[in-house]
Order: sequence, then C-alpha cells, then structure tokens
Amino acid sequence: MILFLQNIARFILVLLVQVFVLNNIRFSGFINPYIYILFILLLPTRFPRSLSLILGFITGLIIDSFTNTPGIHAFATVLLAYLRNPVIKAFTSIEEGVNPVPGFYGFGVGPFIKYVVTLVLLHHTAFFFLEVFSFMNAGQTVLRILMNSFVTITLIIGLQSLKSGKT
Amino acid sequence: MRKLIAFLIKYSVVILFILLELLSFGLIVNNNGYQKSVFFSSGNTVLASLYEVSNSVVEYFYLRQANNGLALENTQLKNQLVELKNQLQVIAPADSVNQNQLQVDPQNEISYIYAKVIHNSTNKMQNYITLNKGERDGIRVDMGVVNEDGVVGIVAKVTEKFSVVIPVINPKLQINSKFKSNNYSGPIVWEGKDYRFTKLNDIARHVKFALGDTLITSGYTYSFPEGILIGTVDDFVINESDAYYDIKIRLAVNFRTLSHVQVINYLNYEEQRQLEKSVTQQP
Repeated sequence: MILFLQNIARFILVLLVQVFVLNNIRFSGFINPYIYILFILLLPTRFPRSLSLILGFITGLIIDSFTNTPGIHAFATVLLAYLRNPVIKAFTSIEEGVNPVPGFYGFGVGPFIKYVVTLVLLHHTAFFFLEVFSFMNAGQTVLRILMNSFVTITLIIGLQSLKSGKT
Repeated sequence: MRKLIAFLIKYSVVILFILLELLSFGLIVNNNGYQKSVFFSSGNTVLASLYEVSNSVVEYFYLRQANNGLALENTQLKNQLVELKNQLQVIAPADSVNQNQLQVDPQNEISYIYAKVIHNSTNKMQNYITLNKGERDGIRVDMGVVNEDGVVGIVAKVTEKFSVVIPVINPKLQINSKFKSNNYSGPIVWEGKDYRFTKLNDIARHVKFALGDTLITSGYTYSFPEGILIGTVDDFVINESDAYYDIKIRLAVNFRTLSHVQVINYLNYEEQRQLEKSVTQQP
C-alpha cells in the first residue's frame, strides 16, 4: 500500500517538475532533460508488464499534451517500458520471488547505473529522432541525444543518491 | 480456438506493446500543425489553465522588462506624433498655395505600417519572421521592414492576416547597401553563422573606409528609401591577391529581441514598376 501511494506521489511530482521546471530550461539552446521517465524506471521489478506499458503510454501522452508533440513522448516511453524488463534481466541477478524497487539498494550501484544509462539512451534516441523526423543532419541529432542523455542521467543518479536506506 | 487464446495470452505483452506504439505513431503522423487534435494539446482547457497558473507566477519576473519596453515605445510614439504634426504644418500651406507640382519630399513618398513579430528565429540557417499584419492591412510582397534600430528584412509572402519576412539574417536575401561616408555600394549577404554579423561584398580595393563606418541602404530598390541604417564595419581583411575586401558588418538590429517592426509602404511602387517595365519591354 505504501509502495502504491509512493508511486502515485512520484508520478504527480515528476510530471509537475518536468512540465513546469525542466521544460523551461533552454541552456545553450538545446538542453532539455526528461526526467519524467523516472516514474517508469522506478516501478517495482515484478510490476505487471502490460500495466507498465499502459502507464508509460499515459505518462508520455500527458507530457505530449503539455509540449504539443502528440505521440512522440508516448512512443518513446512505451518503448522504455517494454525494454525495461529485458534490461533488468541482462544487468542484474535477482532471484525468483523477490521484488526489489530499482535503486542503488535494490540492484547494487553498478547494475543500477547501467540500467539507467541504457534505458535513458534508448528513450532519448527514440524521442529525438522522432522529434526531427528525419535522418538528415543525423550528427546534430546524435549530439543532442548524447548531451541530453548526459544531463538526464546525471539528474536521475543525483536524485537517487540523495535517498538513503531501503526506499 | 483454445490454441489461439493461449497464443494471445502468451504474447499479450508484445501485442499490447505493438498496439500502443502504433497508436503513438498514428498520433505523430496525424499531427500536421493546423488540424491537430485539441484534446492532447496545450489548447486543452485543463492544461491551458495549468499553464495560466504557472504563467501568473512567472510573469512577475518579467514585469521590469515589459515596463521598459512600454516606456520606450511610448517615447517613440510621442516623437512620431511631434514629427507628424510638423510635417502637417509644412505640407498644408504648400499644397494650397502652390498648385504646380514641385518635387515631392522623399519622406512623403512612404508610409509606415506597424506590425508585431509573432514568430522569429535566429539559430537556423534559413531564418524567417512572421508578422501579425497581412494583405487586409495593406502589406504586399517586396515591402521593406525596419524597426527603430535599422533594416530588418523584406516581405516575402502575404496572406490575408499574416505576412512572412525574410530577414537580413537569411542567405536568400541580398540587400544593396552603401557607405554613408563615400557612397560606394555593394550587397550584403549573411553567411549563416552569427545573428549579430553579416558580410559586405563587392567593395573594391581602392575604396577608403575605416572600422566603425556606417552602412546604409542605397535606395536603388523599391523596398527601402535611401539612408536607413544597416550596421557598422566591425572588421575587414584584404589579401595581397584579392581585388575585393572581405568586410564583416555588425548589424544594427538585434534579431534576438525583435518585437515590434514597421513595414515600409512605398506609395509610388506601382508607378515606378510600370515605368521601368515599359522601358525594358520596348524593342
């Protein structure tokens, strides 16, 4: 129950911060970190996959509505929600029957960082290529992906390391 | 049948994934600017009111800027009022007393149309500006656009209510310019690097000028009268083998903060064009 309320609170908080703070950052013209995916990233490991897909779609669609980019965030976030489980399987060795929340405590420092970096890169790659909707000037798009991923990953890791203990 | 159901259950996650991705992709493809769905956009009432709340907090930070802008505009308008009053006094008796057509003061050949910039870019290779005035406000293609600092660009396309301007910071536009000090003229072309600078071409080796010299419009086009400020010489190079200078011009207008502009309406446009056309068409 606590976990449920925690996730609801995280959902609202992350969306508010994303829409009203981070979307207004225009540092050096094209830095716009997307940390709203933290909500999907931090769902419990054994969370039903179909449900996380639907939640990802809804989250993406809400962000899309605020930024007038119908479908783009939704697409990238559903992709993220789908690839979450394979990535967890690849980087961690969680036994059957345990259901840790992703984090430094639940996954261990190394695997968790790998998990975040991989998924953020995948999400940002999908998002920025869909945003320009062409492979022309791919170099610039890749630069955008790398710089924004760096900022997003730093923010997520930083936020997570502020937490202490089991949660 | 049972196998089908078993199949569906087994692959339900993949099927749901593909379904949601197709739905998202459909939204992306169907979103072509004008008829996008209102529900999933910031035009939605709920979202718009959320933005309004956030804006009502943020707008306090910009009050000082807004105030400065209004004060500046106010003084400009007052100055123009005085100028217009003076012109009126000069013109009125001249018209009534002297019936014979004397030379018209070039200042009276043009009128200004005010417009507000509603979209503007400076970081692209092909920059464009959109204005909130169009055909029904008297704007037509080829009109020059200026603001209080100097030349902005030329109107490229007009619809009923809006118009698109090609600014000086777009390589498609070449404006003929000349030095205020010695009348040597050449076209300016933007190179696509920095919105504050442009390049002046075709100035030959023997021309004498200095850093900081003023560059103005030449008046050879229908778009601008003579003598509107374009910029100042910021830097120049000439190699031993070159016949022409390589001159860097600092633009007078700051395109980043452009908000209000004036469109120049050259009143004799049609007449001049007809005349020139009739000459070139003669065998």
